Amino acid sequence: MRVVVLVKEVLDPDAVGAYALAGNLNVGDDGRTITQTTIPRLMNAYDEQAIEAALRLRDGGADCTIQVVSIGEDLTAILRHAMSLGADEVVAISPPEGELDWHTVAALLASYLESTGGADLVFCGRQASDDDQGVVPALVGEALGMPTITVARRVELAGSVVRVTRATPDGDEIVEADLPAVITVGSELGEPRYPTMPMKMAARKVTPTAVAAADLPVGTEGLAPRAVLSKLFVPVVSGDCEMIDGSGAAEQADRLVERLLEDKVVRP
Amino acid sequence: MSGPVVVCTISGQHAEASEEVGGALTLGRRIAAQRGVELQWLVLGGGSDAAVDTARAQGVASIHRVSDAKVGRGKSDAIVEAVAQFCVATAPGVVVLPLDFDTRPLGARVAGRIGAAVVMNAAAVSDSGGRLEVTAGGYGGDTRGVYVVAEDTPCVVGLIAGVVQPETVDGGGEPAVHDVAVDLSAVDERIRVVQAASFEGPRLEDADIVVAGGRGLGAQENFKLVEQLAEVLGGIAAASRPLVDEGWIDSSRQVGLTGKITRPTLYLAAGISGATQHMVGCTGAKTIVAINTDPTAAIFRYARYGIVGDCVEILPELIRASKEKLQR
Repeated sequence: MRVVVLVKEVLDPDAVGAYALAGNLNVGDDGRTITQTTIPRLMNAYDEQAIEAALRLRDGGADCTIQVVSIGEDLTAILRHAMSLGADEVVAISPPEGELDWHTVAALLASYLESTGGADLVFCGRQASDDDQGVVPALVGEALGMPTITVARRVELAGSVVRVTRATPDGDEIVEADLPAVITVGSELGEPRYPTMPMKMAARKVTPTAVAAADLPVGTEGLAPRAVLSKLFVPVVSGDCEMIDGSGAAEQADRLVERLLEDKVVRP
Repeated sequence: MSGPVVVCTISGQHAEASEEVGGALTLGRRIAAQRGVELQWLVLGGGSDAAVDTARAQGVASIHRVSDAKVGRGKSDAIVEAVAQFCVATAPGVVVLPLDFDTRPLGARVAGRIGAAVVMNAAAVSDSGGRLEVTAGGYGGDTRGVYVVAEDTPCVVGLIAGVVQPETVDGGGEPAVHDVAVDLSAVDERIRVVQAASFEGPRLEDADIVVAGGRGLGAQENFKLVEQLAEVLGGIAAASRPLVDEGWIDSSRQVGLTGKITRPTLYLAAGISGATQHMVGCTGAKTIVAINTDPTAAIFRYARYGIVGDCVEILPELIRASKEKLQR
């Protein structure tokens, strides 16, 4: 069976957060591109967990090939990382001219999968840590006519049925669906593996399979963006915190409870 | 020319009289007013009588009820198909969906099916010369992005719970109530629930007082201080993600982007640094109180009151002071 993992390269969200908090995140003249070159680019962490989910299926005896696919420029580093983790093949789709949005990305990914024989299972991270949207997996699922099962903690196969334990806010839920299906994965799956040194060495020699978006059978409709980022900014947080001082924990606690009583936030 | 603004809710999941639904309708009404179009409310699963009162108070022009037996909480294929059929029939310009764990994947599916744009995690929506602009959080809330929707393209907007406070209108007319006929005969839910999630007890989302603990507690046994204070205050104990990852507390008690979105009157954060992923789950609180050893911790930027100190020392005193002053 063919298992495909869709991954995205993102700016390290911790680094972006640190700059944002320090008040010196640089946004370029276009008003929407973060320009700090010191921020590392890496594979979206949830996507790494999606790869882990695929690898665990194979470790569990599933007879499958695992292909990792991404769209963007210069993806060699993250795709070699995917190889070092155990992917069988990595594919880099070079973006078309013009704006990309979630809709065009999903259309390109779905078109690639469809024109290369389809997939039995598509894994994605639950969302990308740059835009936090998490809409591409479901858009791909819709385009391919596959159900989308979100936030998997565990994925098992029984013949042509996939059984997924989902981490919901009300606890675990177990669902089943017939293949093919799209499954999204978050950190609930648990720590992804580290590449071994021999795997890392071998991955260094890998060149991702290059696919040009222009060669994919996507119509102009599919390539027309629908929601385009026009501006990126750091929100201003109010910051009117009143610090409760005192000679010790007991006095501070007394004063805090008194303030909360005055504000009627708590009641006797 | 643009079609109506439609707010879409699911019965049994979005209570028709809740603040969450009221906020979504208020946002919808504002966009509708900017665009000079009607605000419509699509209630999946029929809804209750409370819907009419809410609709009147929110200036909703019409309620559209889908009562097909196949539609209901968790019936994602039926919901997506019902919304898509409604959209094809009424050609809305904007569809607003209150976001939670269950509805999150639905927005993109509806958009994909009807060829609409989609933007999740919306904090604000406005019309700029006929173009819809959606402001949404990114990088776990550290940034905001403004997304411009293509001309003549409908957009599905996933609204973060609690970011828009409900605001009623006076003299709202009587909303028309329509029963919408949808053909779901071809729908056979592809995702089958083998074992439902079961959660008993009071829900964090509904709590009036939340006491949350974070990494600053230092050790698992200190979490009982959080639980004790919650009990004295009549609230619920919660935690930030690291404590759930450590297994100190069940994931049903996790507040944040990947956990629960709370909107209490009081949110007391003990030993929580205030990473934006966490703050997404509590910025809807009316009053945030923070206790942290680090005076530069991000949590103090959101807090109304702060105590710089070790929460393991402060919490026992807060439990005592609350017992004394609240006469418990």
